Amino acid sequence: MRWFARRLCFYVFAIWVALTVNFLLPRLMPGSPISGLLQHLSPAQLAANPGIVQTYEALLGGGHHSIWQDYVTYLHRISHFNFGISTSNYPTPVSEVVGRTLPYSIFLVGVAFILSFLIGTGVGMVAAWRRGGFTDNVVVPAFMTVSAFPAFVLALVALYFLGLKAGWFPIQHAYDSNIVPGWNWTFVSSAFRHAQLPIIAIVAAYTGGWVLNMRTVMINTIGEDYVGMAKAKGLKDRRVMTRYAGRNAILPPLNGFAAQFAGAVGGLVFIEIVFSYPGVGYTLQSAVLGNDYPLAQAILVVLSVCVIVANLIMDVLNFVLDPRLRTS
Amino acid sequence: MAQLDPTALDLPLAAPKRGIRVGRIPIPGWLALLLRNSKSRTGLLIVVFMVVIAVIAPLISVAHPNDFNLLATRQAPSWHHLFGTTDQGSDVFSQVVVGARRSLLLGALAGAFATLVAAALGITAAYVGGIVDEVVNLLTNVFLTIPAIPLLVVASGYLRARGMWTMIAVIALVLWAFEARILRAQALTLKNRDFILAAKTSGEPTWRIVFGELMPNMISRIAAAFVLVFYISLLVDSGLEFLGLGDMSATSWGVTIYWAQVNSTVLQGEWWPFLFPSLALGLTVLGLVLVLAGIDEVSNPQLRTEHRRGRLLRLLFGRAAA
Repeated sequence: MRWFARRLCFYVFAIWVALTVNFLLPRLMPGSPISGLLQHLSPAQLAANPGIVQTYEALLGGGHHSIWQDYVTYLHRISHFNFGISTSNYPTPVSEVVGRTLPYSIFLVGVAFILSFLIGTGVGMVAAWRRGGFTDNVVVPAFMTVSAFPAFVLALVALYFLGLKAGWFPIQHAYDSNIVPGWNWTFVSSAFRHAQLPIIAIVAAYTGGWVLNMRTVMINTIGEDYVGMAKAKGLKDRRVMTRYAGRNAILPPLNGFAAQFAGAVGGLVFIEIVFSYPGVGYTLQSAVLGNDYPLAQAILVVLSVCVIVANLIMDVLNFVLDPRLRTS
Repeated sequence: MAQLDPTALDLPLAAPKRGIRVGRIPIPGWLALLLRNSKSRTGLLIVVFMVVIAVIAPLISVAHPNDFNLLATRQAPSWHHLFGTTDQGSDVFSQVVVGARRSLLLGALAGAFATLVAAALGITAAYVGGIVDEVVNLLTNVFLTIPAIPLLVVASGYLRARGMWTMIAVIALVLWAFEARILRAQALTLKNRDFILAAKTSGEPTWRIVFGELMPNMISRIAAAFVLVFYISLLVDSGLEFLGLGDMSATSWGVTIYWAQVNSTVLQGEWWPFLFPSLALGLTVLGLVLVLAGIDEVSNPQLRTEHRRGRLLRLLFGRAAA
């Protein structure tokens, strides 16, 4: 339980660092971003939203307050998720824009990442178990080669061959343009069809890492005495592979989950742009290119929190899977 | 974009003593070791090939990469334009070979800068221990938790000018944590060796032990960590340029891919302005990954593939993959 408390403290600290980095970034950069931001609002729009300039100044600096006052205001605004108005989506508040786009991204990266974890560890396990076999000699190098390409290249290749040439999948947007989002079958099935190609691209990009990690650890695990003992007992080959070697080998790759997931969230930005998928990544790029800094800040905060929450879930899983953590 | 992040970077402490000679050319020990492994041999070949292309780029490019010719736009690859032309009529082949210079240089410099920061911080933390180690370790873990790409996107969004050195600094400052974790762990296993204790008892100051004793003895591990961050920053930099957040006036692989995406050439069936720079990028990264995998195998004999190699695979990927 102490281990768990330590992890929780770490995550709270990590969120605080992420918020502070977010606060300091616009202030450390040369030039104040606030003038670029305010250009996008007309005087009438500014007059219609009293207090908006103060909110922006707390977020981005450039006001007349000291940096400490700004910091306190900033933390206060963030805790209420008040990032002001998104200039590129006037008059929608930033929080609403994020709330609208986030579910798409979570769905995409969640499904894709779980899939690539399952496929990657499975392939890595079998490759290590049957060294020099088909999986080890063909499937593993194939995944390695594919994963060497950046996510956006894979996404464009998938778009060109599977979407455009073969016409198997829709290539753009999250749902058909004539459908109103809602919890009904037409929307859900449409959204599902549109998510397939992006998911394929993410799986292609991120499975290679899991395969390589799992194979490396599994090879070392197979040399352990308890695996030899299980074999000597005459247990079925498959049972020794999954329950004895595999279950123990999966723990170290799970610990590398933090870096992998943060990486996949980064890759998501590119994949959403290639497919014009209206998630947070797509929104982030257009916000940054359009000087909509409050929106960009909010998305960075939300993505950091998402990665941390995913890590927390993984820690719970680790706790369940690894008896050593429970007894210590 | 750490898509491939080998967990084990455990290297033998010292490089092999003796080098070999091929004819009259002496080959240092570390290179001989890498050349003996089929993976790192292939990887080195690819990387050297790319570097040579970058060096001789002005000689082999047929036109200035940004020359445009509105009479020859959107041409498919032909003998005249080996990689085709863009929608402005620029020669894609020239863009790819000249772009190799900037892409490789930026990746290498950002990698080197990140390695410097990571080595100094990670090794010092491991050696000094105590509160310093706790703080550095905490910082490393936090930086690994904050998603790097969104952080870089937002950071470069605030920048007014995105010159080469600015991008190098920004990328290195975000990526150092990847290496610091690895190097700190490895320095921890070294710090209680006799030669370190000897240096300590003879009254060497901390900075001399870190930079004069620990670092030279970890040079092979630092080099491996550099290769890792080299290809990550190559990917990250091209990615930022792909998003339109790099130095868009420069010629590099990422910029060529960006214009291909902006003009949605792929959607119109023009695959060449996008495919060739991507292939160059992917090939370079694959080369660096293979070098890293080779280093891994040299140091960890258990990972070496047995000599029962599939014939199909040798056909497909050459000896490197088998």
